[in-house]
Formats: sequence, structure tokens, C-alpha cells
Amino acid sequence: MGVREVLARYAAARPRPFVVAAADGTRARLAVEAELRRRGWRAAASPAETGLVVVCGEPGAELAEAVEVVWRDVPGPRARVDLPGGTSPEDVARALDGAVERLADLDAQRSDAQARAAAGFWTPESADEHEGMGHGHAEMGDEHGGMGNGQAGMGHGHGGHDMGGHAHHMGAPAGLAMAERADDRDGLRLDVLHVPLGPVLNAWPAGLRVDLSLQGDVVQAADVTVVERGGGGSFWGGRPVARRLDSVGRLAEVAGWPAAARRAAELRDAVLDGRSPGLDAFARWIGRSWALRWMTRGVGTVTPELAGRYGLPEGDVAARLDGWLAQIDGRAVPRDEPSGAALAVLPELLDGVELGEARLIVASLDPDLSGGADA
Amino acid sequence: MQPYVAVLALAGLVGAVVAAVYAVSSVLAPPGTVDAGPFLSGARPREHALSRYHARWYAVTMVFLAFDMEMVFMFPWALVVASMGAKAVVEMFLFLALLLVGVLYAWREGAFRWA
Amino acid sequence: MRESPVWAVVALPFALALLVYAAAALDAVLAGGGFRDPLYEGVRLLVQQRRRTLAPDRLLTRIGVVALPLAAVLGAVVVPLGGRAVADLTVGVVWFNAMEVVVWGAVWLAGWGANSAYGLVGGYRFVAQGLAYELPHMFALITAALGAGSLRVDEIAHAQGGLWFAVWMPVAFAVYLLSAVAMAFWGPLGHPAGNDLAGGAAVELTGPDRLVFLAGRYLLLVVAAAMAVPLFLGGDGGPLLPGWLWTLLKTGAVLAVLVWSRQWLPALRMDRFMTAAWTVLIPATLLQMLVVGIVVLD
Repeated sequence: MGVREVLARYAAARPRPFVVAAADGTRARLAVEAELRRRGWRAAASPAETGLVVVCGEPGAELAEAVEVVWRDVPGPRARVDLPGGTSPEDVARALDGAVERLADLDAQRSDAQARAAAGFWTPESADEHEGMGHGHAEMGDEHGGMGNGQAGMGHGHGGHDMGGHAHHMGAPAGLAMAERADDRDGLRLDVLHVPLGPVLNAWPAGLRVDLSLQGDVVQAADVTVVERGGGGSFWGGRPVARRLDSVGRLAEVAGWPAAARRAAELRDAVLDGRSPGLDAFARWIGRSWALRWMTRGVGTVTPELAGRYGLPEGDVAARLDGWLAQIDGRAVPRDEPSGAALAVLPELLDGVELGEARLIVASLDPDLSGGADA
Repeated sequence: MQPYVAVLALAGLVGAVVAAVYAVSSVLAPPGTVDAGPFLSGARPREHALSRYHARWYAVTMVFLAFDMEMVFMFPWALVVASMGAKAVVEMFLFLALLLVGVLYAWREGAFRWA
Repeated sequence: MRESPVWAVVALPFALALLVYAAAALDAVLAGGGFRDPLYEGVRLLVQQRRRTLAPDRLLTRIGVVALPLAAVLGAVVVPLGGRAVADLTVGVVWFNAMEVVVWGAVWLAGWGANSAYGLVGGYRFVAQGLAYELPHMFALITAALGAGSLRVDEIAHAQGGLWFAVWMPVAFAVYLLSAVAMAFWGPLGHPAGNDLAGGAAVELTGPDRLVFLAGRYLLLVVAAAMAVPLFLGGDGGPLLPGWLWTLLKTGAVLAVLVWSRQWLPALRMDRFMTAAWTVLIPATLLQMLVVGIVVLD
């Protein structure tokens, strides 16, 4: 074996998988997470970080398209694993082993890389209706030309940008418009970015997308879309404690506490196996974290008025977390909460919060769109 | 070795190691460049991300600058306290107390809170 | 100014590399991986295909990425890590401070340059974080300098013959550790590269860029830990063992605490932490400095 083969094999031995779950992919996601933990592989949070995309469940058309966009952005060597619902641990292990083989296959990876380099640039136009054509950006440029006039040249330094060989227009360098302006809540007129959260995002409810209008890191408006739902009953039906452990784990992940997230996932899988070791200690550990309380108190508060309107319990992210912990260690009766109210209240809770708080709020409501296809 | 020679030598070493990393990568990496979009949860951007940013902590930067200028005096001050005696300590902490009053005012005005 | 021995220039990078690997391996093991994971990850990034986002500012991104390890290593020249400092400057503390501030620009550039919304937000988060941790950090540095009456790192270390500064300046020491984590945007102060932004300032970095950026981050953590030893933990002083070994052991211990902090606490957001930094940490460090100033007078 040459040096390249050795290195390729070495690099493929510990991929950083990016795990995407469809609405009906909860069972597959749990199997994947357990297998990753067993192997000591750490998950990635973005296409740039990963080389291995793992799709759990069967995505509908819209999610499949989003996964395709992410897959296009993954640098080689890359591999993709699709795990339709109802996957056994053995299937997952076999699929991941296969991915490692493909990642280490130098010839296949080289031809993949060449094909992508030849396919040319990703341009904003080709992402729209005419995928892969890369023509029509003159019209696009004109269309958007009037939007950011005066901005493109000032302060954005677009002359220094790498245009990828494309013509650019005032207001639309590289065929993409500059941000438009709008009034913000502090009475300034500032650029607005349109940033979606989900459907392909780490520690995010499967099947959900929230379209944000951002000024800086402040959410000015939020639009909630259910991209897809699984059919039939939820995977979590009849497993409320495991569901709450899953929710706490993802909240911890978003809160930047990977150790707690990891422990929550371990306990969740133990509970699903019919064991329940150390739930009290876990709830105490999380509940006693002054830092987590400090960071979640007063965030995403459901006021009495909102609570009345949407039929939700009152309280902030910290209160919702406490409620979950009480269900986990048996102080409160575990219950399945309907996710319709959570979806309805989200736009109001997200209005005017910081992006990191927005992630915490969504995680603390954790709407369950998972289907019963595999339940 | 003169200190500045040593510093330059180390900077050169870091530069060489970083250049080696990029060189090795360019030899070993698969050919071509992937032209990706910025990661937006599976969507393509509607506009460039480079925008005038709503930095809500700009009031803090003002208070920070006041203190940061003060640091210019503080470094030499630390050296002479023992020889200058109580006068140096009193003067410096009077000065700091004035600045702290400013901080108190800024805090009351809510400069350190946002969201 | 004393001449620096040539061997120190050679020894420092080795000591830094060793500690960087130890830190990365410890983090991997704590996260459920193996101690060889950093090696796997390094090779994986080395053989990764080049990638760029739409209309990035690649020059500025790369300046940001490379500035990170450069600032860390240059900051380390005043730290007597390999037994003696590479350059024991008379203004060593100021030099260290100056190098560490370079990180502000580096992280911001890396986040801004990719033309990515998440990266942009991450980059700005670090600037806000700088505004919160920098002043307490500087006051902690000056408190140590005040205790020794010198800005030369070696003299500060040897002014602690009787009692470590960490013992009678506990507030300054605690704040220093906190700011060490903050300057390396690590663990509880890692929000600029947070998981809620899919990696924040580093979201679009791939291949060698990501490798250099992550190595630079570990370097910062290591250098900050190493600087804590002469400032607060008595430098190379200690019984039985040779001085350089004591330095290495103490650095390793501080480093382990810093790495482990990521397991202990969730990320602290600046919209909450800023108030605490200005209303608690700054007055506390100033009070600490006043106490030290009065002690020095006697």
C-alpha cells in the first residue's frame, strides 16, 4: 500500500458523521446515535465539518432536497448512508462499515471529486429553478439590481471577494443579492438576512423549519413551517420518559453542554431497553447546574396570556426543563404533550430574541413531528 | 540570541509549519474545489451574509475603551507602587473609582443588558 | 535584557506540540473517544478536498485562521515553558496581553470571511466576549505584576518563593483561569464557535484551514495554561524534581482543568455574562488589586 492508501484508510477510520433525521426516522436516529457512541465517533454539526452524511428515515420531497443541498456541500472524501426506518443495530453497523470502505476508496473518491470540479460552480441561480444550468444570472442580477443599491460598493468590499469567475452586478455580486434593509426594533434601518433553521440541523426537531428574518443576531420575525410529518402515531407514544431524556439531551447540546447531552442519550437508550439506572442522579445533576439555569431563566417565557391562548403551561425555558426533569426522576407524572400548541406559540416566542436563545426556545418546546411508521 | 531574533525565528517556524500543512494538503487532497453554499440548514441563501450588523453591545465598547486607555497607565504603575508608596495606590484607585462610577451609570442605563 | 539560549527556541515548539496533543486527546477521551482521535482527525482534514463558499473573502479568512496559532506561539515566547523563556522581555506581561488580543481579530475574520450567516454571528459573538473578559483578564495580569513589582515573567515567578500568588490572590487567579478559557473560546466560553450555530465562526472551515484553526485554538489554551504557572503557581519552584519538570507538571494540571471545564458547564452567553463581567468580575478584580497594592506597600 502506498502512502496515500494508508492515509486515506487512516482518515476514514474516524469520520465525523452528520446525522439527519426525517420525521419518521426517530428509531433509525436512535440506533445511529447508539452505534456512534459505541464506536467513539463524534458527530459533526455542518457539511464543512463532516465527510459522512447519515440520513435516518425516509425523507419526503422537501427534506430530501435539503439533504441534497447539504450533500453537495460536503467536501470529499465523502460518503452517504441512507437508513430507512425500522433499522436494526446490525444494519446500522454494517452501513457505517460500508461507508468507511467507500471513504477509503481512493479511486472512487478521486473520480467523484473530478466530476464535481467539472460540474462547475454552485451559483445562486442554479439553486433556484434551473439546477445545474448556471446561465440566467444576468436576469437575476438585474432583477435584484435595485435592491441593495449603494450598499454593494460601500463597506462590503465586494471587489476583494472571490467571484468564482462570474460577472457581477451592482447590488448582486456573484449573482446573489446584497441584503435589503428594514427598520429594526431600536429604530435603526439595517440589513435583514433570511436565515432558515432546519430542517437539516443538529439537535433540531425532525421535520421542522423556522424561517428567520435576522438583523445581526436578533430575530425580527419567525415563520414556522412543518416540512413533513411521519404517518400514524408518534414513535414516542407510550415512551414519555425516554422522550423527555431525548429532549433534555438536545437542549443540552444546543446549550453547549455536550457531556450532559451524551449522558442523556445513554440514559434514554437504557430506558428504551427497559432499564432505568441513575435517572434521579441525572435529574439532580442537570437541575443543580446554576449556569444552565442562569442561561435559560427568562428566555422564551410563556406568559399567562400566551398560556391561556395556546393551552400551554406557563414559564420559561428553565421552567420547561424543570418540568421534564421532574417527569424523568418520577416527581411528576410523565405525559405526552401535543406539539400543535408549541408550533403555534413559536413565532411569538422567537420574536426579538438572540439566535442562540431561539435555538434554546425551540429545543425547550421540542415539538414532536415524528410519525408512527416505525412505532 | 537576541530576543527579537528568537521571536522572528519562532514566527518563521510557525509560518513554515502552517505552509507545510497547506502544501501537504494540496498534494494529498482530491483534485478540484467544491463550490459550496454557506450552511443554512439545507437551504441556499437569498442574500449575501455580509451585512451591517446589529451589534447591540456597542455601548459596552465605549465603556471598554475608557478602561482600555486607562490600562496604558496601569502597566507602568504596577512597577513603581513599591517605590512611590501610598500616594501611588491612592491616586490610581481614585482614578479607578471615577471610572467605576461611570460603569455604575452605564449599568443603570442598561448598557450591559440586551435582548 | 538577557540573551536567550538557542535550545529554548527549539524546546518551546516541542513542549507546545506535546501539550496541544495532550489537550486534544484528553478532550477526545472525555467525550467518549480514544486518545488517538486527534491524529485521525488531523489526517482526515489533511486529505480533505478544498472547498469554498460563494463569494468568500479568502484572504481575510486565511489571515484569521493563521493568526490564531501565530498569536499563541508568539505569546508563548515570554513563558518559561521549556525551562527558560525564549525571550524574557522586561515587558513580558504586556507582550503576552498584546498577543492574546490578536485573537479578537483572528476569530472575527475567520467568521466573517466565509460569507456565511452563522459564521458572521459567531465572529461577532467573539468580539462581544472580548469586551466581557478582557478587562478582568488584564486586571488579573496586573495584580500578579503588582505583587512582584515587575512585568518580567521570570521575576514574577521568582517573587513567589514563599507563597504562591494563587494562594493570596485567589480572585485574580480564578479570573485568570476564566479568561484563559474565554480567549481560547473553549467550553463554557465557547459560544462563538457554539453548537447552536453549527460551529459558529468555524462553520465553513474545511481541510487545512480547519486543522490550523483548531490547532491554534488548542495552542491558545495551552499557552494560557502555561502562563498561569509563572504568574500564579510559583513558576518552576518545587521540591525534589527539576524546575522544568515542575513547570510542565503544573502546566499540565492547569490545562487538564481548562479542558475538563467543557464537561462541567454549559456555554455562557454574552447577553447574560456581560452584566456579570462588568458588575461582579471587574469590581472583584479591582478589590483584589487594592488588597495586593496595600500588601506591597508594607
